[in-house]
Amino acid sequence: MANQSGNVYGLTILSPILQDTKAETSHNCAIRIKLAGLPRGESSPFAKVSSTHMARLVVMDDVVYVGMPSCEEHLKSQYLVFETNFDGDLETYLARMAREIPAEVDAVWQHCWGYPGVSEVSAFVAYMKKCQVPTTFYFADVNNKTVEQTLRALQAQAAVAEFIERNQGRTTTELQKSFADFVQKLHNTPPPVPGRPGKGGPPRIATKMRWATRSYSNGEVPTPNE
Amino acid sequence: MSKLDATDIQGFVLRGYALQFARYMFLEIADPVRGQHFIGRLLNQITTGERWDAGKPDWTLNIAFTHRGLVNLNLPDASLLSFPVEFLQGMKARSAILNDTGKNGPDHWDRVWREGRVDLWLAVNSKTKETLDARCTDLQELMSQTGGATVIGSQDAGALCIDGHWTSKEHFGYTDGFGNPDFLGVERDTQPGQGKLTADGTWVPLATGELLLGYADEAGELPVAPIPHLLANNGTFMVYRKLHQNVSTFRRFLEDKGKLYAGGKEKLASKFIGRWRDGTPVEISPDSPNQEIVKDKQRNVNFTFANDLDGARCPIGAHVRRTNPRDAFGFNGRLVNRRRITRRGLPYGPYVPEGQSVQDDGEHGIIFMALNASLFRQFEFVQQQWVEYGNDARLGNDKDLLLGNHGAQDRYTIQGTEDPRNPPFMCGGLPNFVELRGGDYFFLPSMTALRLIAAGTVDSR
Repeated sequence: MANQSGNVYGLTILSPILQDTKAETSHNCAIRIKLAGLPRGESSPFAKVSSTHMARLVVMDDVVYVGMPSCEEHLKSQYLVFETNFDGDLETYLARMAREIPAEVDAVWQHCWGYPGVSEVSAFVAYMKKCQVPTTFYFADVNNKTVEQTLRALQAQAAVAEFIERNQGRTTTELQKSFADFVQKLHNTPPPVPGRPGKGGPPRIATKMRWATRSYSNGEVPTPNE
Repeated sequence: MSKLDATDIQGFVLRGYALQFARYMFLEIADPVRGQHFIGRLLNQITTGERWDAGKPDWTLNIAFTHRGLVNLNLPDASLLSFPVEFLQGMKARSAILNDTGKNGPDHWDRVWREGRVDLWLAVNSKTKETLDARCTDLQELMSQTGGATVIGSQDAGALCIDGHWTSKEHFGYTDGFGNPDFLGVERDTQPGQGKLTADGTWVPLATGELLLGYADEAGELPVAPIPHLLANNGTFMVYRKLHQNVSTFRRFLEDKGKLYAGGKEKLASKFIGRWRDGTPVEISPDSPNQEIVKDKQRNVNFTFANDLDGARCPIGAHVRRTNPRDAFGFNGRLVNRRRITRRGLPYGPYVPEGQSVQDDGEHGIIFMALNASLFRQFEFVQQQWVEYGNDARLGNDKDLLLGNHGAQDRYTIQGTEDPRNPPFMCGGLPNFVELRGGDYFFLPSMTALRLIAAGTVDSR
């Protein structure tokens, strides 16, 4: 089934955005403003809906015409695209959204056609299912483990590496003793918080540009490229 | 495709010269017109890719430009703006992307790179020190005569002489310089393991456009290149990085960890890189070095990782596996073919034999130079994702042991087996073995393009 990959559900929603030429801020702009202000990481609303592996919200304006030989086509409306990969079944997940992050859902979807609000959970679930299109691609880093299993596994991986490093070369008896302690300690450690970045990670992408200075006339001291 | 026009391509692009001495001079253009004149006078001395039927020449000369250099040689704005953005910005502005931060950050670079006034890279390679000095004196004279440029920095490099023999070793004792890729149309003795892997397990050359501008690349597209096409074609981009090596730190680390590792010090050294220090690939010979394999061109780069996905022979994070994962990511290596770079590095500073006292702040390092059609897609990707990060290899935040810009939490994992001589092993508390001392991105044009630049006739219309 296209929407299910093992235990992970891939949801794709296309919600048509309201068009109101009289609005002071158009609905698509209002959505963009709201989305730009949503917190990320562990304060993200989707960290609260803790079965979420990844979620993405995008405003789709239209299909892009790239010139001949393709033909020019347009969408009937602008759409809010919502993509998420999560654990468990669809209705439970949508109900969690309605119950656990109602303010955020309202703030975004109130700009979409036919949005019934979240106060009646079944109506919200039915609305979202109506906007659903099949998912065929999944977030590449998601495997068949739940969010909590994944976080636990990463925690265990780091802890085991640290354990081996601290204990390598010890006698069997010492090793067994410290391993038993280690397993107990690991077992009692709370799971990592969803959305909280671990140490390290890839280098951040810089966007600030620096340009070479233009040439200078004879005798002048050139300006360093700073 | 047919053979490339080797007379139009700088020799440095098509072959490693394997000459013992080198000097890289960094020039600032003094004046656009006199600078063009200076380049014009150099033209007939520049080494092209023509075959050396009469044996190796006594010396070679090659030239490359920073974007600032092209600006200062008065290329038209339309050409200048058409270069890829990473070249336009230069390596210093890309430091965050490359994780060149902290001790590797631009504030710690050599003055010539901190100041950012380098316009031109002139490279002389030679058989003897005397020839090198003589050639550089000639070039200095030509600069004075024409008033076109001044030398604002200079870097000597060369093969390491160990026990009276010229070697291809670097300061940590590893034999270097294996495994440059083959490209279509480049005349070269091809070795299995050097191009790209095909579905039937054989190796074929990579698309020319992964090395040279103006040819189709592995995606069947032309690489992003400046206009006009005569300026771009048969040219390439080069990254130049001066990598200082903390030899004392490395030797102490290897000694200390080697005492804890059941396989012993030399095996541990081999697990860092994926090659024994004599060059033997651990994937082929995991238990001992073997000079027969090193010398056998049919075997010394001819290996894959598909039967070693757990890293029992070659650790998953070993340098050769990180920077050229071959088939380790599946899909017959297709995730790797667009990330290959051609290395032209040389060590600098004198070799200090093992056992002799050595300081970290001694003059020891490697001049890393790599050529690729796209700095962004090839060099920068490898540096950011495969050297400074580990997720593609499922190693989380781990970095390359030797090249990584390490933090206090970084560790290197050696996967192992139940064999007591090949146990799993963790190296924590990683120091920085290598520190970046500067460098930049350069454009290495074709001979045709050099003639246009010299004549001031780059026409962007």
